[in-house]
Amino acid sequence: MTFDRVDVVLEIVKIAVVVGLLLNVVPIMVWVERRGSALIQDRLGPNRVGPFGLIQSMADALKFILKEDVIPLQAHKWLYTLAPMFGLIPALTTIAVVPWGRPFFIPTEIVYGPRVSGVCLIGAAVLAILAIALGGATAKYHRKPNYSKLNFTIGVIVAVSLFLGALALIGVMLGIKTAGAVHLPGGGRLFEPIIADLNVGILLIFALASLGVYGIVTAGWSSANKFSLFGGIRASAQMISYELSLALAAVSALMVAGSLRLTDIVGRQTGYFVLFDTVKIPAWNCFSPAMWLSMIVFIVSAFAETNRLPFDFAEAEAELVAGYHTEYSSMKFAMFFMSEYIAMTTMSALVVTLFFGGWDVPWYNEPPTVTGFLLSAISFLAKVGFLLFVFVWVRWTIPRLKYDILMKIGWKVFLPLAVANIVLVAWFIAMRWI
Amino acid sequence: MIEFAIFFFFAAIAVIFALVVILHRNPVVGALSLVASFFALAVMYVLLDAPFLAALQVIVYAGAIMVLFLFVIMLLNLQHGSEPATRPVQQFLGYAGSAFFGLALVYYLVKYTVLQLPPGPFLSDARAIGVTLFEAYIFPFEMVSILLLAAIVGALLLSGRGARPEVAR
Repeated sequence: MTFDRVDVVLEIVKIAVVVGLLLNVVPIMVWVERRGSALIQDRLGPNRVGPFGLIQSMADALKFILKEDVIPLQAHKWLYTLAPMFGLIPALTTIAVVPWGRPFFIPTEIVYGPRVSGVCLIGAAVLAILAIALGGATAKYHRKPNYSKLNFTIGVIVAVSLFLGALALIGVMLGIKTAGAVHLPGGGRLFEPIIADLNVGILLIFALASLGVYGIVTAGWSSANKFSLFGGIRASAQMISYELSLALAAVSALMVAGSLRLTDIVGRQTGYFVLFDTVKIPAWNCFSPAMWLSMIVFIVSAFAETNRLPFDFAEAEAELVAGYHTEYSSMKFAMFFMSEYIAMTTMSALVVTLFFGGWDVPWYNEPPTVTGFLLSAISFLAKVGFLLFVFVWVRWTIPRLKYDILMKIGWKVFLPLAVANIVLVAWFIAMRWI
Repeated sequence: MIEFAIFFFFAAIAVIFALVVILHRNPVVGALSLVASFFALAVMYVLLDAPFLAALQVIVYAGAIMVLFLFVIMLLNLQHGSEPATRPVQQFLGYAGSAFFGLALVYYLVKYTVLQLPPGPFLSDARAIGVTLFEAYIFPFEMVSILLLAAIVGALLLSGRGARPEVAR
């Protein structure tokens, strides 16, 4: 395989887009979590910084950076510092093998026309409206008592940058208009919206996900705090147990696709099941009865694997203060926070890829063009976003289980169910029903 | 060229962390260094065009076995400095044994460096490994499974569940 300069640039663009999106999921999800929990518990939630408290997370992030970084005297300094990185790096890298859109042929040139100007003008208008709304809300809250200067500054900065973004879009449009047509260097080649299309993709995900536990375990041990240690020990046992049912539940989707490559698994789900020669159902794995059991096992195990309620024993605040990150402060604590939400996003992306058809738009055959790619990417993001909301929804609805119940259902219920479902899927495949 | 750079970088990492495993006094640091060493070894598999083996190496050794090691170390709360003092004879035997092993390793490496690989593409994907394992090597495979099963049954027997009467809570 040979690479030229355009390939390298495209790869860097892909990595930048995916990592940028993942890092930005964190503040958005924190906002969704706080407002969502407020909605579920009939409260208001954060509503001071920006409209609906939208940029509260930015204020929080700034506060994290400015706080003092405390390392306990008894702690193992090296491991205490490395632990948040052990957690964050696997969480960030796992997404590399997940396809997030339909492959498309890059157009050779962009010709100025109503479509280009329309897209640019609509984008600029949306950004400008957001900027004005944010600026107005900031100015309005500024007159109220007890309103911090920090929040005001952040509001102004975000509003100005949004406005600058709108101006930049208009500038791009005018640039294309004066040039007439812009020649694209990578024109004509196939753009695959996946960072690394490995033939062992799903195994790489499980390999890196299994490394994620080291962050929690190391943090728990190195803090020299009994509650942290308990959190770390619980997390290691829990994640080892649920990795098994997670992997075995994924096997059913792999068997149907006949491949470990995630693009093949998505490709297998792009067709239709035709019922009674009339009703067309998308061939997503979640619509085939053989998969229902493994889908349920996979999603519940995903909750346990990401340490989310009802399985968040590593940080059960009623028993362990804050579990493995009791002693952590400042950006180190923020990194644990980030790795939790990024791991959640990756898990959601994996559930979407394995069971909900990946980037497939139902009842629509995406053409290999920019439009088809954009629609499929939006479909993928919408599915992942919905699953992320389910994570929040479940957290604030279902109370925490007991630890022995967690281990019992992991080994005595989910593991046998996942194995039984493999046999079921094998039977379906042998009978040629799927 | 870049493959050589990657190879030597990760080979150095593997060797350095392997040394940390045996030289560091803290058992938790040792276990984590072993994880790093395993990870570098997985990169070697990738360089050998065997990503399947690399993924399995990380899943099985780094992701599962070493987590259990750490779990046990933390559960028993092993402290450094609590190692039993060794007698001079034991020390001598240890050094002599490892020196002998090292020399033998170097000897055989030098002797067999000019191994001939079979011609044709190097098949190492999941399908090729599965077919080989379940057709040519099915008997050794089943023997190994029975060995592991025996170990599990033995561990259950030793832990004494069911043999003892139920203790009142």
